[in-house]
Amino acid sequence: MAETDFKTWQCRTCGYIYDEAEGDPTEGLAPGTRWADIADDWVCPLCGTPKSDFDMIEL
Amino acid sequence: MRIDQDIAETIVSPKAYAAGTPIDDAFKILRKEAPFAIAEPKGIDPFWVVTKFDDIQLIERQNDLFHNGDRSAVLTTIEADKMVREMMGGSPHLVRSLVQMDNPDHMAYRRLTQAWFLPQNIKKLEPRIREIARSFLDRMAAFGTECDFARDVAFLYPLHVIMEILGVPESDEPKMLKLTQELFGAADPELSRSGDAEQGTEAGVNSIAETVGEFIEYFNAITEDRRANPRDDVSSVIANGQINGEPLDHFAAMSYYIIAATAGHDTTSNTTAEGLWALCNHQDELAKLKADPSLINGHIEESIRWTTAVKHFMRTATEDTEVAGQKIAKGDWLMLCYQSGNRDEDHFDDPFTYKVDRTPNKHVAFGYGAHVCLGQHLARMEMRILWEELLPRLESIELNGTPKRMESSFVCGPKSVPIKFKMN
Repeated sequence: MAETDFKTWQCRTCGYIYDEAEGDPTEGLAPGTRWADIADDWVCPLCGTPKSDFDMIEL
Repeated sequence: MRIDQDIAETIVSPKAYAAGTPIDDAFKILRKEAPFAIAEPKGIDPFWVVTKFDDIQLIERQNDLFHNGDRSAVLTTIEADKMVREMMGGSPHLVRSLVQMDNPDHMAYRRLTQAWFLPQNIKKLEPRIREIARSFLDRMAAFGTECDFARDVAFLYPLHVIMEILGVPESDEPKMLKLTQELFGAADPELSRSGDAEQGTEAGVNSIAETVGEFIEYFNAITEDRRANPRDDVSSVIANGQINGEPLDHFAAMSYYIIAATAGHDTTSNTTAEGLWALCNHQDELAKLKADPSLINGHIEESIRWTTAVKHFMRTATEDTEVAGQKIAKGDWLMLCYQSGNRDEDHFDDPFTYKVDRTPNKHVAFGYGAHVCLGQHLARMEMRILWEELLPRLESIELNGTPKRMESSFVCGPKSVPIKFKMN
């Protein structure tokens, strides 16, 4: 998949942004980790909101 | 289990938070010997003291089980609570901001301004905020080689940023700063409205009520103006906002302005000043930071953890439950001790050491769950910009006297950080 296909997702509670291109190494998510590959029980690192309460956004 | 009385008195003592070491020592003992136990300080209703990182997070994310608004959201005395309820028609709160709300109101009111504070929106403000940061650093340079970093820079820069976001004229910033310091510094004789350490007394409640009244008078005028002439600012959003198709309840709207105009700068100021203080005391960390600016975000996160400007919030159990093996009854009051959570030895390696490269550094300084700080992204951005601008100009810096913190068990940070410096 081309790099431009990377998506960004945002927490509805606190606004934390997960960018697939950058990942979140502090969460153990390497750059390039797709949203779909993150465990379903993963929660927002800033506020604990479940993965299901994130929205895909365009920046 | 009851907490030792001396420790119970310490964890509610504004002077202990100002001094730093006594409060860290008290929490260290509690985390080891009574991590989740009841305190009964003189004149205060009994409450659970939550000292461990994991327990704080567990409670913070269960917003239906642990309410903010059912009892006072901050520590208060029996005397002050009675007075506030008499003044406020039975409510335990002098203001009704996001901090005192629970769902469904909390979510509806938070949504109103949330878009303003999202990363993608505040990014648009970055060039202007950088301009503001540079102007305050030019001012610092103009002092020559000595200044009080808290009073001359850290108090003023985040204040100016949030007032621009609110649309408050620059000429009113001294008034906003004074009122903020009266509100959060009610227990500090140098900052309180009357000049006495009066928190929790009848005089103290009256002083805080007067400060709130002054804020309301000010923001009533702002509301009228923004209804007549809406602008692109947060005050216009509050003045013209609707919840379920109706304008905001007047008291809640006034409270919204007050929280934005106080918490919107004071905690960032505290963290900026305490962060610089920490670097003065850890010159090796400063050298590391100057050599590798990619560590700036790490320094910011560490300064947020280190300072933990908001020392506590209270929660009230909405039903019988159990946490950390303790039976909590419906109506019980719980003190979430963020400073303790951010020094929890089970969560942080070497928590009493300042490390600009601490990884991971997941702390609870901004809270957790639905009430997590609305302005956290703005706070981080303001601090990043300031350090990005300051570090390349800074040749040397050291303390030039003993810094002093505000006496407060709620929001607490430095009120004075005297420094000697060389900058270009």
